[in-house]
Amino acid sequence: MLTTLINVLSSGLIMGGVYAIISMGLSMQYGVARILNVSHGEFIMLGAFLCFTLVRSHVHPILSMLLCVPVMFVIGFVLHRTIYKKLSDVSGSTAAFESNSMLVSFGLMFVVQNVALLLWGSEQKGYTFLMRSVKILGSPIALNRLLVLVFAVAISFAFYIFLERSRLGKAIRAVSQDPSAARLLGVRRTRVAAICFGIGAILAGCAGALITMINQINTSMGMNYTIIAIIVVVLGGMGSIPGSLLGGFILGFIGTVVNYIDPSLSLVAYYLIIIVLLLVKPSGLMGGKS
Amino acid sequence: MAMLEINGLNCFYGNVQVLWDVSMNIEQAEIVALLGANGAGKTTLLNSITGLVAPRSGSIIFEGAELMGAASHTLLEKGISYLPENGGLFPDMSVRENLEMGAYPRSVWKDRKAKLEKVFEMFPKLKEREKQMARTLSGGERQMLAMGRSMMTDVKLCLFDELSYGLSPLMAKEAFKIVQKMRDSGITVMLVEQNVKQSMEIADRAYVMENGRIVLSGKCSELMEDDYIKRAYLGL
Repeated sequence: MLTTLINVLSSGLIMGGVYAIISMGLSMQYGVARILNVSHGEFIMLGAFLCFTLVRSHVHPILSMLLCVPVMFVIGFVLHRTIYKKLSDVSGSTAAFESNSMLVSFGLMFVVQNVALLLWGSEQKGYTFLMRSVKILGSPIALNRLLVLVFAVAISFAFYIFLERSRLGKAIRAVSQDPSAARLLGVRRTRVAAICFGIGAILAGCAGALITMINQINTSMGMNYTIIAIIVVVLGGMGSIPGSLLGGFILGFIGTVVNYIDPSLSLVAYYLIIIVLLLVKPSGLMGGKS
Repeated sequence: MAMLEINGLNCFYGNVQVLWDVSMNIEQAEIVALLGANGAGKTTLLNSITGLVAPRSGSIIFEGAELMGAASHTLLEKGISYLPENGGLFPDMSVRENLEMGAYPRSVWKDRKAKLEKVFEMFPKLKEREKQMARTLSGGERQMLAMGRSMMTDVKLCLFDELSYGLSPLMAKEAFKIVQKMRDSGITVMLVEQNVKQSMEIADRAYVMENGRIVLSGKCSELMEDDYIKRAYLGL
């Protein structure tokens, strides 16, 4: 019984941590850059395959994950500077940009997915890493899962601290709360938006790299995570970073428990949560009034 | 040479002309009030200065350099602070963080601690509320915070849009007192107000706008004796 409990608990924390990272990225891309990035899951997949390819060329998995950080940032940043910047110039209003950018990210999803398919094929891929287990309170836990748990929690909190404490983090929050007031104080909005998009890609890439350490991956894995991230962001409150952090862990736990009872029910559970939430508190757990 | 010189400004929204040949100048360390009813063009004039609206013709010279066409995010570094009507605060950031954002330009970010102390000295109430979110403040405290934030840089010119709007008479008086203090410390202030009487009492000079034109200007002491002003704005 205790073993089962600890198993479910640790799986919940691992899933929750990964969901939290993914969702904070999506939440920030939406909150600041006003892009509902439907291709978010593809960046997770990209990070996963980047990490996998590096590991195959004998780079240590943790080092591979760290290498993903600059690569993913550049991809995200450049993408915003080229496509989304252009889109924002031709869109007359924020509302128009929001719908246009969602369509573009939809298209991007297919492009990234198919390029990945071309590069890596469609079969399941994976590697073994730290398959030993350690005993915690008498029940065995695989070392790789423990490592992912530690990294997921560490990344979530590092990111949160960055937003709370740093000059850039404060500017990011300021832009998401009142873009025109932030501009009058000298914050360059499009630049901050591009950085946010890049950071969102970093978070997606890190999550992807973490996933490779515990699961097998394939090129069509992204969509699933996009859906989960959107659910978490709605659950936590659109654009609220603490909300995404909390929502990620909640959904991770619920998902694990449901998965333990009957794996085929997890999506049902997720949608049920959304329905209940929209009925009870449509603005999300930590969402504002709007 | 005046600190801010506006010459022959014409501004349009689509085909509708909203500013007609507007000219004004503001000297260093004076309070200038821009008065007029709703829709007279006061905010449009402010928006032209801050670059949120692009006038069709005319010029806006600040300290000898053309301001028109400059991006709004460069204003603060030039020494111009603009306080929009709603205060432009960040509701989900603390009082301290809101103030810190006032020192966002890289050149002043390092000195933000010292500036913060100075602002807290001027507004002890803000010090008490340091960790509170801006959205939990009362209207008066919000206005204090917004004013405090504009003093986080070495600001030369402050543009206040409807500073007294929504404040209790007591708070409004308090806010105007601070404006006088700012002037006494060498900061130039442009007050855009519907509260004609109180702003004339503290301002050195005033411009009166009607239908997009400047119809009257002069020293406040003289304007207050003007028959038209008395009748139309002071209700005497």
